[in-house]
Amino acid sequence: MKSKQIILAIITLSTLAFGANADSAIWGKDLITSILGYDQKESLHLGYYFTLLQSTYFKPLFLGIILGVPAVFFLHYLVIGPMIFSHDRKKIYIFTLFNRIVHAIAAIAFILIIPTGLVMMFGSTFGGGEFVRTCKEIHAISTLLFIISVVPMFFMWLKSMFLHWDDIKWLMIVGGYLNKNKNPVPAGKFNAGQKTWYWLATLGGFVMIGTGAAMFFQDFRLDILVEYGISQIDFLRGSAIVHNVLGAAVVILFLVHIYMSVFAIKGAIHSMVTGYKEEEEVEVLHSSFYRKLKKENKI
Amino acid sequence: MSENARLKFFCDDDRCIACDGCSVACAEAHELPAGINRRKVVTMNEGIAGLEYSLSIACMHCTDAPCEQVCPVDCFYIREDGIVLHDKDACIGCAYCLYACPFGAPQFPQDGAFGIKGAMDKCTMCAGGPEETNSHEEREKYGQNRMAEGKVPVCASMCSTKALLVGDSQEISKVYRERVLSVGRGVKTQPYGWGVAYGSKI
Repeated sequence: MKSKQIILAIITLSTLAFGANADSAIWGKDLITSILGYDQKESLHLGYYFTLLQSTYFKPLFLGIILGVPAVFFLHYLVIGPMIFSHDRKKIYIFTLFNRIVHAIAAIAFILIIPTGLVMMFGSTFGGGEFVRTCKEIHAISTLLFIISVVPMFFMWLKSMFLHWDDIKWLMIVGGYLNKNKNPVPAGKFNAGQKTWYWLATLGGFVMIGTGAAMFFQDFRLDILVEYGISQIDFLRGSAIVHNVLGAAVVILFLVHIYMSVFAIKGAIHSMVTGYKEEEEVEVLHSSFYRKLKKENKI
Repeated sequence: MSENARLKFFCDDDRCIACDGCSVACAEAHELPAGINRRKVVTMNEGIAGLEYSLSIACMHCTDAPCEQVCPVDCFYIREDGIVLHDKDACIGCAYCLYACPFGAPQFPQDGAFGIKGAMDKCTMCAGGPEETNSHEEREKYGQNRMAEGKVPVCASMCSTKALLVGDSQEISKVYRERVLSVGRGVKTQPYGWGVAYGSKI
């Protein structure tokens, strides 16, 4: 009995001596396998890829996006110019109050998350320290706004977002944005561009939330990872890679979304404020939807 | 120490007895908060007879330090003697350095609200940080600056079996070579080693 107690005491004390983070998912017993496996043949090489991407490719990629995409739009605005639709005809009620509130919350979230994310990406340009650190916290905290908006957004527009023949045709003519003719553009309630943005923002958004949360909480254990034999540190490395790559796509489509609603289609942004779209705008840019509304005598 | 000294840690796994003295000494010397382990002892092949050995690991002060490469705010700097240091005022606690590090060396205090990570903390080879040498601020943020006082880092200086070596890489390899060559040859250039202490043939 006595020897049992002594053994127990030794075991308890030795775990204490091993450091306070013996049960940590990163610095605990997995640390040794992580060290030994780093960039070895049978490993996922994520440490190596993360280092390579983060040190060499991510910054130029994002720089290219935030300079290149607006440059292309600037040219488009100069050469082709915005679409201007008549504001004299009827207005069609498209977005309900619920739609607009959800969209507004998501918009605030994006306006907070994207610039703060870019500040982190170019942290050295801002000199690091308090400013970049604050941006990091804002980036994390405003995710809560995104979470409460992305879930209702996913369900409220889901049924209009599935792939349709119109979308292929829309893509073939790039949505009719390459000329100023007001030919009817094949699209339902949402065109292929909007659908892409929807799927990226919702499904991609869920992935962004997951990978971001992983990096925020850092030291935790997920049973599913253990099951597949993925170490926590590799999960974090993978999360950082996915978060950055997907982030690049989000930034691109976010810029597209802003350009379309504010500049390329004059006054389009009002539909998300008032809920009404100009009849001509619907007739041209969402021709299939317009025909459907006509058929159902809704206008 | 030669002119172009390249400072390195080396842990002689024939000698390390996993006493954890180095990590305790480090935590005490730098007054590290609980949960921050700049140095720790790991045991490889635990429980496998004949293959088990222990090592003390911390920041390895890599020449091509991956942490320095990935840091988004460029808070790392590598001294001429190879010591990898960082600026805690610039650090935003993003943990990218931890993802890049093969050794899990960067540590993060979770002291902020909602589990927000504070500035990264890691082994400085007892060489402080960018603040004025031996100033109060430096001591608060990075711990002791023993290097500036001409002292050996505390972990290696108190290692009871002299398993943990630190210094100019050339000198260290010389010491280790001597140790290897002297094993089983009756040439005792080393003081009281593992073999003498425990009577085993290495």
